[in-house]
Amino acid sequence: MAEPRFDELIHPSTRLSVVALLAAADWVDFAFVRDRLGLSDSALSKQFATLEEAGYVVTERLLVNRRRRVRVRLTDAGRRAFDGHVAALQDIVATADQTVVP
Amino acid sequence: MTHSIGANDARSALTAVRHSRQQVIAEIDMPRWYWLGLAAGWFGMGVVSDFGPGWLALSVVPLFGAAHAAVAGKVLSGRKRSSQLSVRAELAGTHIPALVIGFLIALVGITIAIALLVNADGARHPATIAGAFAAVIVALGGPQLMAAVRRRAARRAGP
Repeated sequence: MAEPRFDELIHPSTRLSVVALLAAADWVDFAFVRDRLGLSDSALSKQFATLEEAGYVVTERLLVNRRRRVRVRLTDAGRRAFDGHVAALQDIVATADQTVVP
Repeated sequence: MTHSIGANDARSALTAVRHSRQQVIAEIDMPRWYWLGLAAGWFGMGVVSDFGPGWLALSVVPLFGAAHAAVAGKVLSGRKRSSQLSVRAELAGTHIPALVIGFLIALVGITIAIALLVNADGARHPATIAGAFAAVIVALGGPQLMAAVRRRAARRAGP
């Protein structure tokens, strides 16, 4: 279990969905993320640029079957940040549930 | 640790995480061509055994096994259904290759049993009939097997 650590950079809803998708995979094609989350190319590129700047993701440009593909993967730092953020969210929920129970 | 969100926001965020994870779990599968190719190969082996020359009937099984081994290594993990992503091993589980191989070994036994039964009943083409039966099981059962794997992965995935 990761140490709870709320991450302001990951938390915005679109970015959290992007990172959660990446966290479940070794690598993901740019188009897959775009299509599954219903984002435009530019909106998704901005999310990746922010995450890449923070060192949370790396992008690779490849030529697969004569087609240009962009593959994205979470770095170790990104995975740690995501795991810590999920643990922090679970902590918040657990604390609230304990408060409610008499 | 400081944070500025409430429990409801945290729940919503966890739901979004779960949703994203489920989208990746939905990709745990093997390419459809694998199951269809396997079914066609199985039926083909039956036909060759019944109608082909003796030397071909003897060599078709090792040839089929070699062809299967050549392609299975790339798809048997169930983590690369398409070229769009590779599902993490801890999410897909490491048991898929063993599960599929077990399924195929059981199918070999079923094919032989059916062929012997049909032959004992006096049918003229027992291997073809058994091969057709096994091909239907592969084509329909393979995707069902992977659907069960996805359900298991979804249950195992954390909150």
